[in-house]
Amino acid sequence: MATIKPKKLTLRSYQVGFGDCFLLTFHYNGRTGDRHVLIDFGSTGKKKSHGENLMVRVAQDIKKRTGGKLHAIVATHRHKDHISGFTTNAKQTGPGDIIASCNPDVIIQPWTEHPKARVNAKEAPGTITKTQSFVSSLRSMHEIAESVLLEAERRKHILGKRLHDQLTFLGEDNLSNLSAVENLMRMGKRHHYLNYGSRSGLESVLPGVKIRVLGPPNLKQSEEIKSQRNKDEDEFWQLQAMSNKFVIQKDPMLFNGARTYSHANAPGATRWFVQRVRALRGEQLLSIVRSLDKVMNNTSLILLFEVGGKKLLFPGDAQIENWSYALSKRSVQRLLAGVDLYKVGHHGSRNATPRSLWDNFSKRSDKVTKNRLETFCSTMRNKHGTSRSKTEVPRKTLVAALKGSSNYHTTETLGKKLSFDFTMTFR
Amino acid sequence: MTATTTPRTRTLTIIAQDPSVRVKGKILRAQVEVPAEELAPGPWGYRVHVVDYDSSTLNLYRPMKYPPIGSSENGDGDPFFKASDAKLLSDPNFHAQNVYAIVMRILARFEFALGRRVSWGFYGHQIKVAPHAFADANAFYSENDQALMFGYFPGMSGRMVFCCLSHDIVAHETAHALLDGLRTRYTDPSSPEQAAFHEGFADVVALLSVFALPKIVETIIDLNAPGKNSSRIARKYTTVEALRKSMLLGLAKEMGQELPAIRGDVLRRSVKLEPSRTYIKDPEFIEPHRRGEIFVAAVMNSFVEVWARRLKALGTTRYLDRERVVEEGAMIADYLLTMVIRALDYAPPVNLEFCDFLSAVLTSDREINPNDSRYHFRDILRETFVSYGIDPASEGTEEDPGIWAPPEAGLNYDLVHFESMQRDRDEVFRFIWQNRKVLNLYEDSYTRVLSLRPCLRIGPDGFALRETVVEYMQIVNVFADELDRLKITAPEGMPAKQKLMLYGGGTLIFDEYGRVKYHITNRVDHPERQTQRLKYLWEYGYYNDPRSFKNFANLHRKKRAAPFADSIRQEW
Repeated sequence: MATIKPKKLTLRSYQVGFGDCFLLTFHYNGRTGDRHVLIDFGSTGKKKSHGENLMVRVAQDIKKRTGGKLHAIVATHRHKDHISGFTTNAKQTGPGDIIASCNPDVIIQPWTEHPKARVNAKEAPGTITKTQSFVSSLRSMHEIAESVLLEAERRKHILGKRLHDQLTFLGEDNLSNLSAVENLMRMGKRHHYLNYGSRSGLESVLPGVKIRVLGPPNLKQSEEIKSQRNKDEDEFWQLQAMSNKFVIQKDPMLFNGARTYSHANAPGATRWFVQRVRALRGEQLLSIVRSLDKVMNNTSLILLFEVGGKKLLFPGDAQIENWSYALSKRSVQRLLAGVDLYKVGHHGSRNATPRSLWDNFSKRSDKVTKNRLETFCSTMRNKHGTSRSKTEVPRKTLVAALKGSSNYHTTETLGKKLSFDFTMTFR
Repeated sequence: MTATTTPRTRTLTIIAQDPSVRVKGKILRAQVEVPAEELAPGPWGYRVHVVDYDSSTLNLYRPMKYPPIGSSENGDGDPFFKASDAKLLSDPNFHAQNVYAIVMRILARFEFALGRRVSWGFYGHQIKVAPHAFADANAFYSENDQALMFGYFPGMSGRMVFCCLSHDIVAHETAHALLDGLRTRYTDPSSPEQAAFHEGFADVVALLSVFALPKIVETIIDLNAPGKNSSRIARKYTTVEALRKSMLLGLAKEMGQELPAIRGDVLRRSVKLEPSRTYIKDPEFIEPHRRGEIFVAAVMNSFVEVWARRLKALGTTRYLDRERVVEEGAMIADYLLTMVIRALDYAPPVNLEFCDFLSAVLTSDREINPNDSRYHFRDILRETFVSYGIDPASEGTEEDPGIWAPPEAGLNYDLVHFESMQRDRDEVFRFIWQNRKVLNLYEDSYTRVLSLRPCLRIGPDGFALRETVVEYMQIVNVFADELDRLKITAPEGMPAKQKLMLYGGGTLIFDEYGRVKYHITNRVDHPERQTQRLKYLWEYGYYNDPRSFKNFANLHRKKRAAPFADSIRQEW
C-alpha cells in the first residue's frame, strides 16, 4: 500500500501587525485532501493602515480558506501576540469564536499549559512540585504585567512617552489573555502539551509528515545542561507579584500615620535625589517586564516538520535559553543543518535566532539558488526596542543576514493586504 | 571654667541582623558606636544623607530631629534606645537610623583598617540612602545616583519585609559603594573573577560585620548548642565542623527566614561548598555570583578554622567558658574583616583575580602584624584558599609563602621629592615615568595615576605603620588583528577590526622614607590574563551591550532572572 504523504504545502502568512499567524495547508491527493494547521494567531499592535477589525477579518479568511475545518492549532506560547486572536466575546462574534467554529481536531501547546501543572490553591506549599512552582511563577508574571500596566498609566506624566509606551507594550503582551486561554482549552478533540522529545500528536492529522518537538525543554531537561534550577527564581516572581499588587492599591500606605512632605515643600537638598529615584522606578519596571517577557518566550514550542525531503522549522518566540537544550545535542544540530524553511523567531528580535543555529543552516547562500533557504518573518517596525540600545525589532543586523543569505519574506511588505502565500512542493 | 570634651562616638540602636532573628520572642538588637557628629534631620551627617523617598507610593517621609551628642535626652542621643519592637518596625525614622548607623559603622571600619579617610566612588562626600526606595525585592548601590537603594516587599508571611532592616544587606551594599571608591576600576569589564570579587567581597564584609557583633555570635550559639543557660559550652560544639554547622549554617538559616529570594542563599551555598580545587575551572562557576561563592567559602571557612584552632589552644578541659567562646568569635570576625579591607591597598588596580587578593591579604597583614603565631590567620587563609584552588599570585618567601615579591632593583629616586609625592599625583607620575624601564611598564600606552593615598595604620600591638599607596593604570587601544604581536589570542569569531581596549596597571607601596616596598602589577600585555579576559567579554556579549556590565541593579536581578548569562554571545 502506498504511503499517504502530502505533495505540496501552501504557507499563508497573515498581516497581524506585531504578532504571528501562519496557516499551513498540506495538500494530499485523493480522499485525504487538504489538511490545515494554524500556528499562532495573535497581535499586540497594529497600524491604522491595516484597517478595522483586522483579527476578525483574518479569522474569517482562515475559515474560508479551510472550508470551515481546521485540523490542528498550534499555540506556541501564551503571549498576546501569539494567542490574542483566540479571544471570544459574549456575542460569539470574536475572532476566537470564528476559529472555534472550525472545529479543530488537535490543539498543541507547551507543557507549561498542562492543567495538571497548575497549583491547586488548597495544596500545601511543601507538596508543590518544581513544575507547579515554575508554572505558578508564570501566573505571577501575568499579575505583575497587570500591575505594571496600571502603575505605568498612573505615572504617565513622570515616566515620559518613550518609557510609558515600552511598558505598555510589554505589559500588554504579558497579560494573561484569559479568554483566549480558555477558548483554547475548550476547543479541539485532543490536547497535547509538549516538551522536547514529546510525540507531537499532529501525526494523526498529517499523515506522511514527521514532526519533531525541539523545545521547550521541561525542567528536568533544562537541568541536564545547567546547574539545578534555583528555586529562588520562582519565589522571586511571587514576591514581585505581591510587591506590585501593593503598589497598585488605591492609596498604598507603608506606614500608617507617618508624616510626609507634600511635593511642593520637599526640602531643597532632597529634590535632585527624589527625581532620580522616581526615574529609577520607571527603569526598574521596564527591567522587570523585560525579564518576565523573556521567561514567557522561553516556554515557546519549537516544531520541526519533515516531509518529502524538506524541513520546516517553526520556533515561535523561543530564545536561546529554550534552544540551548536542543542545540546541545549533536543529532539535533545535524538535523537542523538541512532546514529549508525557517520561521524567524520572535519577529526578528536579536536574541531568538541563535547565531549557532543560523550558522549551522547549510542552505544559506549569498546567491539565489534553487534550494536556497526560505525565511519568513512576521513583524512590525518601531514597536519594540530601540536601535540605540541595539534592541530594535526586527534587528537590522539579523535582517541583513536574512536578506543576504536566504529568500526573505516579511509581513511588513503586505501593507493593506491581508496575507501572502508561498508554495513548496515535496518529493 | 570646666572644659567640655566632645565625645568621639555616638551609640545608636540597630537591628542586629534582621527582624526575624529573635531572642525570647523579641527582635535581637545591638547598640553600635558610630563616629560622633551633630546630625541634621535625615539622619544627615558628614558622609551619609538618608532621604526617605518611596518611589512606589510617592511619599517623602519627614525625618526626625536628633538630640545633640552626649545629651541625656533619649538615651544619650539614641532616640530608639528603649523603643518597643512594634515601634522599630513601624517607624520609618528608625529604619532611617538603622541604615545610617550600619553604613557609618562599615565606613568607620574601612577607615580604621586603611588608616585614612575613604571616599565614595563618585564626586561627592555624602552618599544618599533611600531606605524605602521602591516596592521590589531588590537593593543595590547606584553610582550614577550616588546612592544606596533599599526595597521592601510583602513577605510570604504577609508581613512587609524591609531590606533596610537587614544588617547584612545594608553592609553588603555599603561595601560595594566603598570598594567602588577604593578601586574604581574593579567595575570595569574584565574577567569573571573581578566581577565575582565585587560580589564576594561585599558578602564577606557583610557576613563578618554581622559576626563581629557579640550578640549575634551568642544568639546563634545559643540556638544551636544545647545548654544555653549554662555559662559553659561543651568542647565538642567548638570543633571546625560543629562551628561550621552551628554558626555559618545557623546564621544562613536565620537570614533565610524572611529574605530567601533576595539573599539568594549566599552563605548557605558557600558553606556547603566543600573544599575542592576544581570549582575555579568549572564552567558552572563562571557567572559572577556563583564564582563569588568560592571566595566567600574560602574566607568564611578560614574564619571558622581560626576560631576553632584558637579555642583548641585554650586548654584541654571538656568545657569552655561560653563568654570567652563568643568573645573570641566576634574578635576573630572583626580582625578578619580588617584584614580583608586592608588587603585592598595591596591589590592590583585592574583585572583583579582571587589569587592576587590572597597575596595582597598575606602581604598587608605581614606588614602590620609580623607575628601571627597566636591566631595563625595568614597560614589558615592560605591553606583554605589553596584548598579551593586559589593559589597565591606570588611565590613569597620561605617564612612567608605567598607574599608579594620585593620591587625591581635599581629604582631611581633622584629628581623627585617624597614629600611632594605624598600629595601630588604629577610628582608621583614623574617618578613612574622616569622609572618606566625598571618598572617594566608597557611604553606604547596611555598611563595615568589613579590615586595617591598616604595612610597611617595601627597594628594590633599599637605599632604604627606609615605608607603611601599609589595606583596607576595603562590603556592600550588595539584592533583584534594586532593582538598577535602582544602574544594575546583573539577570541574565536571576533572580527579582525574589532576595536579593543586593554587595561593594565600597578600599585606602588611606598614606606615612610619614600622607598618602594612593593610594586604589584597586572600588566597590560599579560598574554594569558588578557586572552582569558577578552574571551570572557566576547562570549558574554560585552561588545554587544557594554552598559549591562556596569550596573548593580541589573546584576542583582540577573542573578535571579537570567540564569543563562552566556546567552548573549548568541545574539545579533
